[in-house]
Amino acid sequence: MKAFKITTAAAAFALMANASFAATEISWWHAMGGALGDTVNQLAEDFNASQSDYKITPVFKGTYEEALTAGIAAFRAGEQPNVLQVFDAGAATVIGAKGATVPVQDLLVDNGADFDINDYISGVRYFYADSDGKMIGMPFNSSSPIMYYNVQALEKAGVTAPKTWEEFQTVTAPALKDAGYTALSQSHLPWIFTENFMSRHDLPFATNDNGYEGAEGTKILVNNDAIKNHFTAVTDWQKNGYFEWFGTGWGDNQTPFEEGKVAIWLGSSGSFGGLAKKGLPFDFSATYLPYWEAVTTEPKQTFIGGASLFAMAGKSPEENKATAAFFEFLTKPETQYFWHQETGYVPITEAAYEMAKADGHYDRAPAAETGILQLSLPAGENTKGYRMGFYVQIRDVMNREYGRILTGETSVEDAFANIEEEANGLLARFAKTQN
Amino acid sequence: MTDISQDPHATPARRIKWGRVLDHAILIVGSLFMLIPLLVVLQTTTTTDIETIKNGPELLIGTQFDDNFMKAMFKASGFSGENTGTSMLINSMILGLGFALGKIVIGMMAAYALVYFRLRFATFAFWLIFTTLLLPLEVRILPSYEIAQKLSLLNTYTGLIVPLIASATATFFFRQYFRSVPEELVEAARIDGAGPVKFFIDILVPLSQTMIAAMFIIMFVFGWNQYLWPTMVTTEEGMYTLVRGIKQLTQDLEGTNIPEYGRANMLALIAILPPVAVVIFFQSWFVKGLTESDK
Amino acid sequence: MKRAGFTTRWLPILLLLPQLLIIAVFFYWPAVHAVQSSFFLQDPFGFGSSFVGLDNYRDLAGSGEYIKIARFTLLFTVLVTFFSLGLALLLAVKADNVIRGARSYRTLLMWVYAVAPPVAGFIGLLMFNQSWGPLTEMARAIGWDFKLGVNFNDTATAMVIVSVWKQVPVNFIFFLSGLQSIPKSVREAALIDNRSAVGRFWDVTFPLLAPTGFFLLIINITYALFDTFGIIDTLVKGEPGNNPMTLVYKVYVDGFRGNDLGGSSAQSVVLMVLVLALTVFQFRLIERRIHYT
Repeated sequence: MKAFKITTAAAAFALMANASFAATEISWWHAMGGALGDTVNQLAEDFNASQSDYKITPVFKGTYEEALTAGIAAFRAGEQPNVLQVFDAGAATVIGAKGATVPVQDLLVDNGADFDINDYISGVRYFYADSDGKMIGMPFNSSSPIMYYNVQALEKAGVTAPKTWEEFQTVTAPALKDAGYTALSQSHLPWIFTENFMSRHDLPFATNDNGYEGAEGTKILVNNDAIKNHFTAVTDWQKNGYFEWFGTGWGDNQTPFEEGKVAIWLGSSGSFGGLAKKGLPFDFSATYLPYWEAVTTEPKQTFIGGASLFAMAGKSPEENKATAAFFEFLTKPETQYFWHQETGYVPITEAAYEMAKADGHYDRAPAAETGILQLSLPAGENTKGYRMGFYVQIRDVMNREYGRILTGETSVEDAFANIEEEANGLLARFAKTQN
Repeated sequence: MTDISQDPHATPARRIKWGRVLDHAILIVGSLFMLIPLLVVLQTTTTTDIETIKNGPELLIGTQFDDNFMKAMFKASGFSGENTGTSMLINSMILGLGFALGKIVIGMMAAYALVYFRLRFATFAFWLIFTTLLLPLEVRILPSYEIAQKLSLLNTYTGLIVPLIASATATFFFRQYFRSVPEELVEAARIDGAGPVKFFIDILVPLSQTMIAAMFIIMFVFGWNQYLWPTMVTTEEGMYTLVRGIKQLTQDLEGTNIPEYGRANMLALIAILPPVAVVIFFQSWFVKGLTESDK
Repeated sequence: MKRAGFTTRWLPILLLLPQLLIIAVFFYWPAVHAVQSSFFLQDPFGFGSSFVGLDNYRDLAGSGEYIKIARFTLLFTVLVTFFSLGLALLLAVKADNVIRGARSYRTLLMWVYAVAPPVAGFIGLLMFNQSWGPLTEMARAIGWDFKLGVNFNDTATAMVIVSVWKQVPVNFIFFLSGLQSIPKSVREAALIDNRSAVGRFWDVTFPLLAPTGFFLLIINITYALFDTFGIIDTLVKGEPGNNPMTLVYKVYVDGFRGNDLGGSSAQSVVLMVLVLALTVFQFRLIERRIHYT
């Protein structure tokens, strides 16, 4: 009897040891701190619990920039993680470095997963794809800039959420001002008033098919009349007390909206989660980003922001298989719906969106749907995304010049001339790094 | 001393008192300037995160202190469950102590060699060392990471500490200090037949007490407060340090969530304590050392 | 060097070895790397690169922004060093004067030294918050519409204040120790010779504090140039925008944040040369001073 017990224990132990030996371990470096990080950890735990062949370990690596740079340094040293989270502005760096990553599409197909790019909602399909439409990075925390508004404030002013900027400046803003509100603030000028200005109005953002065809000779097309007119209008709104700018910090522009001082705020579809948790003293809702009727009468979908996951190259086939399994797990409707509910980021597949709809998520929180709807608007020639190297610095240049416009230190004309010149300088430098 | 200071101003006793009052007033204002921000942080650890975000610091003491304290010290903020406040505290301690001791020992040895020995390549070694003054790790961090990896120092305490030691600040200050030590001491030691090792350990090190204490304070705090390098070289949560943990808690993207201010601020306050203890301890030590050596 | 007591050959080499080894591996190796990369433009992953000669340096010299940042760095360093040392000296002199409560003041005044720069920056964000920051409200009360992150000068002011706040305690501790080490006999003699407290300070105390002051001056310049990096990064919320920044922060922004290895390496080399010049200058100054005494 005793002997029997011991053998079963030994057998059980051997089995367990075997199982833990067999599990292929992979790592995932990300930039999601705080409560988002808890959700990331939950996803990893759920994946590990869902099967016994693979084990993923998420590692918080600081900000987006720190995570990317740590990933690059690790790659050079041969210590790269299996999965690296890369934010929108860093995409060109990673996708440009062919051989640094295994395209997600190849990874999934090679490991026997079903892959159809049309399963993904239309706005997220090609943002991290190459010029042939092959998906390189897996969209992960995806968001898009949308317009939040204070329902009571708009009622008090007797207006509805503006569809166009013309409506905003002639009807909405003056009424809101009379009702005692600052009409508008926004949280990210390069993202909302530049990149997505281009996609919403279907304007080319860079030569070479928005940069998708390669870094060589890519030039930014930011110095155009449509956007300059927009910024001139913004400065007029600022003078009239319709618009206020609180700096480059995200939260500084969001807070006045939460305090009820600003009636309309342009933020991220992902901000929905945080707004809902704060218990605001008023009802808020959201709708699409306005457009200029003078520029287009057929507004298009917007770009995604946030970040994507890349499978780093140089890993064993077993580990790549594990990574593929993890990506498959991530794109499952249940996982996506969980992520969408927990964080406010949009679900990236049609199936997950259907699931959320069927579950009544949008009946309970209509504003949560805005981001997906906007990303599913008709696509245009210039709406799949943009690909520019050193884009982090280009955004810094934009932020700097926009800040100077809004503090009256420079003119719109000079600012855009500067942005164009410096950005093209950076792009030319980047092209030289790609030889 | 008291009677002398009273004497020259014997008649207008009030004027002296006004001087004292002014002294105290300046000190109180100074203390407030230093302390109020810390009190503000302390206040935010007693309220909920939402309240802090909405209203900022207020003149009331909330009820969340214990809760935040427990979370800060014992709740893991990562995946493996290994990076609790306690484990991060230990790692920071190892980093701070290792950095300070390493820097002092290496710096003293090098300074001793430079000041007290006739070396053919002394000038060369001198410039080789002092060129490294001031240039911080942040601006050479990427190649340093590659080297740390080549030496397989990632996720080790050695990897955390040694690359940070690669600058000559301590050597520089010890060199200055040794040069101010009276030359007669060496002569006397030589007459007594003391060799260089004996002179170093028995005479120079005890004499440098104050300098060592001063260096220890500066270096310990410097090491303790590192952020970027620890973030680069560690990927195992069991190796995380406090300053990194604090940043992890406050990071928020696109307003998707409410940052855990209460817990982060609590962690920040906890992070202050050990270095303050070091400062208090070594301060009295080197004040004493200084005053004694001058008498 | 005229002082050189011992003639043993192997010992000094042995003593120097650890220091030389560490700086060779973790300073010179990366530094050579930096000099090398400054002549290239390379893909951060290490796939592509082109030799561009002095282009990276030419781009820097031709950049008006870079010159602006250099100018701000100089101003920032001067302000931080001056106020950190000045305030600390004032407080130390006063703390040395009073007898009652001296210990409490000493303790109260040195806490902040232990605050990590990113945390100091974070506390600065609390104090200067645009909607409810206590210091913002104070500024508004006196008619100064203080806007951190919007107005360049306001942001610069906040950077200086937070940096000074963080640095005063360490200076205070050292000045106070210096003051308390002035022998009683000297003080008593000074009291008889010079009746005015201010005169006494400048004639007797200040010269006696000079060595401490010089030591602190170097520490403070280093601090303002390099260690304020965490404060600046936190105060601008990781987005440089139209905010002020220092040269080291710029290296970080372009190299670490933006992965422009060639450009940031060139900046590192420029910094190294600047620092080298500063070091040589300091040494000549110190050697001369020591020569006289």
